Order: sequence, then structure tokens, then C-alpha cells
Amino acid sequence: MGYPPQPPYGQPGYPQQPGHPQQGGYPQQGYPQQPGYPPQGGYPPQGGYPPPPGAPGGYGAPPPPPPAPVATFNAATLPDDDNVNPYAFSVNLNGQWFIQKGKMIAYYGQIKFEALSAGPLDALVAGHFHSPLYAQDWVVAQGQGKLLLGDRGFDLNSFDLEDGNLTIRANNLLAFDPRLTLKQSIIPGFLTLLGTGKFIASSNGPVHFVEPPLRVDPQSLLGWADLPSPCHHYDHSYMRGVLGMARGMFGIGGTSGEEHQFEFSGQGTVLMQSSEQVRESPAMLRELEAQVGMLGVGGLQRLNQVIGQRLSAEQGGGRSSGRSGLMDLLD
Amino acid sequence: MPGYSPVNSKLLQVPVGPGQEVYSKRGAMLAYTGAVRFAPTTTAGAGIGGAVRQRMAGESTPLMHVTGQGSVMFGHHGLHVEVVDLQGDTLYVEADRLLVYDASLQSGTMFLGEQGGLSGVVRGQMTGQGLFTTTLTGHGSCALLSHGGVVQLPVQPGRAVYVDPQAYVAHRGQIQNKLHTALGLRDLIGRGSGEGFQLELTGQGVVYVQASERKL
Repeated sequence: MGYPPQPPYGQPGYPQQPGHPQQGGYPQQGYPQQPGYPPQGGYPPQGGYPPPPGAPGGYGAPPPPPPAPVATFNAATLPDDDNVNPYAFSVNLNGQWFIQKGKMIAYYGQIKFEALSAGPLDALVAGHFHSPLYAQDWVVAQGQGKLLLGDRGFDLNSFDLEDGNLTIRANNLLAFDPRLTLKQSIIPGFLTLLGTGKFIASSNGPVHFVEPPLRVDPQSLLGWADLPSPCHHYDHSYMRGVLGMARGMFGIGGTSGEEHQFEFSGQGTVLMQSSEQVRESPAMLRELEAQVGMLGVGGLQRLNQVIGQRLSAEQGGGRSSGRSGLMDLLD
Repeated sequence: MPGYSPVNSKLLQVPVGPGQEVYSKRGAMLAYTGAVRFAPTTTAGAGIGGAVRQRMAGESTPLMHVTGQGSVMFGHHGLHVEVVDLQGDTLYVEADRLLVYDASLQSGTMFLGEQGGLSGVVRGQMTGQGLFTTTLTGHGSCALLSHGGVVQLPVQPGRAVYVDPQAYVAHRGQIQNKLHTALGLRDLIGRGSGEGFQLELTGQGVVYVQASERKL
């Protein structure tokens, strides 16, 4: 008996557990299913909304169609390796999958989550997970059942690679099939998948596929496939000329925030998402920390300065417009 | 002129060329093709006086001037993007909700006290909109940012629209807005509905409302 830890929370009436019945045997009647909830009609939608005073009627538009009832899934009806909705994905697990920590939202069946350092996984990890930097962020799910994945309400997509090579932002890779091989990309914060198999990735908004030549803001880059690694592109052309010199000397006008892009060229596809706020990535942090050791005193001071500037920019950028105009006038 | 084309609800593709330059929120470029330049700007075409006025009004959001020849994709923090085409009329919007707008549009700053006098000032303070709002006038397109997408509600004479101040995004047309308080005894003892303040919009025009109460 693997996962469900036995004494079921001291509830004697909880009908379950004897040998953990698979699939269809899952006791539906145990849950007070739909009848317990007020059905859609109970909620006062149109009509219940009081028309604003003075308005002759409601809004001119016809009432929108009633929302579709929320589907209730069980282990048998959950989709096999498909999206449940745009934000949740159901993996039909039969064997092993690599899962990023914190992306599992629910599961059915007997599934065990093992750290990559677990002894019996040695061969699998040695063959398919070539990134000690990220090893702490990943686990292997093994067993049989349905595994539901989700990530911050982002859109989820599954991709099938066929003898391919795809690099993706490490934070946005949720899970992959162990037939694929994971390696660290040259670009920090990105992981490369090689081989044939399926993986699940999240994106802020739908994924947009673009063909090079293209320059992409690093924050909105989701990944790239069958392409050489990008190079950095820096653009400071507005610093030229008299006005540019004045800018440089007095710092008026600031920076455009768009001096730096990743430049792609060659044949392949670039995957883009709407930009996301830079999220703390523990692996990226470890990578940077490891390199701090190579700096001398001057370098460290410079780094300190850069971090200070960046920090004030980030915090200043988050300033809400809610700050009243009066306050701005005063200071 | 070839307009803004939404790629999906959160990405917007904007062609840039001679005679079609745009101003955009700094850092909102996601990708581009072609020879496009991004220069920081403080005046955004409004001249030094305009810039000073904007700075004074707290309506100066960092902008950049996008020029050259090519195609640029814009987006910001995964917020929804809504394209608004202006045909000679005026859009009233908070500066930080503007993702990108045509350089052909005149931008300005309006003191809310001009609309409703003292109560306009009170409204600005209470709703967190500040005392000033940005206006865009002319012929061209602009794109607004919203959390959760926007709906357009028509405002007609005799049909006022009430909007949660936090969900209000922008409006256009001949619209007067005033703060509508619905405070009762329950609010005093902390058992209010949390909907004590609404913006009451009357007149003729369109108001843009986002599907969320989150400010940007």
C-alpha cells in the first residue's frame, strides 16, 4: 500500500481506501455531488441585477447565454494526456515522468513522487537529466493514475517532439516524458529538451510562434526550436548625437528599457508569450551566485551598484498609479 | 493606415514605418523584426511644457518613441490588450494604462477639477485615479492595458452606468462622471458590502471597464 497514508483522518464514515479501488470503482456516492450545490439557476444572473436608477430598462443587449455547467471529472473521465481546461493538464501516468516541483495540483491513483537523488532512479537520472543545477527543483512521479498539473493560472500546452531539439524557459517547463533528455541551455534560465517524446509547458497567454529573423525581449521569450542559440543584441543608437551625449551625461530621459534583446537568425521557430514579471528562479540564482566567486573587489563593487540600480528600478516600476496627484505635486 | 493587429488577447503587433511612428510604454516591447529604434522620451510629442505639466500631474509614465521600419510586438506583464481606434474624438485614460499609441494622436493632461469642480477633485482622491487624467485626441489607434480584459459599456442620456472605480479603465465621448457614494450604517460598523463608492457616468459615449478590480 503506497501512498494514501492509512488512518484516513479519523473519519470513520469516509468510504474509501480498501485497497484503493482503481478507476471506475472510485466511490462517487461518497461525495455529495451536484445536488448539494445550488444549480446554476439558483444564482440570480440576468434580471436579478437591479437596473441603475433612472434607466428605463436594463442594457439594450440581449442577455448572454447561461454559462456552461462546471464539469465534474473523476479518474475515468479525466482526459488522457490532454488539457482539462486551458489552465490544467491531465497526464495519464503509467510509468515515470519528470515533474517540476510545485506544479502538481492533484492526482488520482497510486503515484509516488521521488527526489532525483533517490537511489533506484540513478539510471534514469543519469540518462535523461543532465542538469545538477536544476535537480533540486524536479522530482520523478512514478506509478499509475491521472496527474493534474497547473502553473500560476498560465495557459498550458503539451508539445510532441520528434527527434527534435527545443529550448524552453526553465520556469515554464512543467513536466516531461522520460524518453526525452533534458540539458541545460547555454542561455541561463533555459533548459533544452532533446529526442522524441511529450512535454508540458506553460505560457502567459497563448503561445505565439514566430519565425526568425527576430529580436525578442528576454522576458517574453518562452523558448525556441530547431534554432541555433540566440545572441545578445544591444541598441544604444539613441545615445548618439548631441542630445544623446546630454542624455548620457545628465541621465535625462533615462533608458528606453529596450536596449537588450535576444537576436534569432536561421531556420526554426521562436516561441513567445506575453511578457511576465521576472520570477525568482532558484536555479538562476545559484548559477549567478556560483559566478560571483570569480569577481574581484572592483567587480563586486560594480555588481553591488548594478544591483542597487536594478532594485530601485524594479521597485519604482511597481509604483502604482494610485498615488494621488496631490502627493506628486507636494514632493 | 495598416492598423494594430492583435496576435492574441495579450499580444499586439504594430507596424512601424515612415509616417507611422508610435509612442509606447517603456519596456513593453516583446519582439520586433526590421530596423526599429527605441528611444526614451519624456515629452512624447507634447513639448517641454506638456512634459512639465505631465510630470506635475503625476501622469508621466515612462514612454519611448518607436521609429524606423518594421513590425513590433507589444505586451506588458501578461495584461490584456484592447485596441481603441479614435476618429477625431477624445479618449480619457490613466497614463499607465496606455500600452502604445500613434504619434499622430495629441496627448494631453486634464485636471479632473475641470470636470465637476471640487467634487472632481474629491473623486480623484477617493478612487485612486489622482487629480489628473491623460487625454488622447485625433485620428489614430491606441492600445489599453487591463487586467482580465475589458468590456465596453455604452453610456446614453438617461442611462447612467455605474462602475467600480478600480474596474474603470477609460472612457470616450461626452461623459460626466461623478463619485456616487452608497455608504450606509452598515459601512460604519464595518459590515458594508465593500461597494461603497461607484463612479456614475452620464452623458453620451462609451466607458471601458475591466473584468477585475486590480489596479495595474
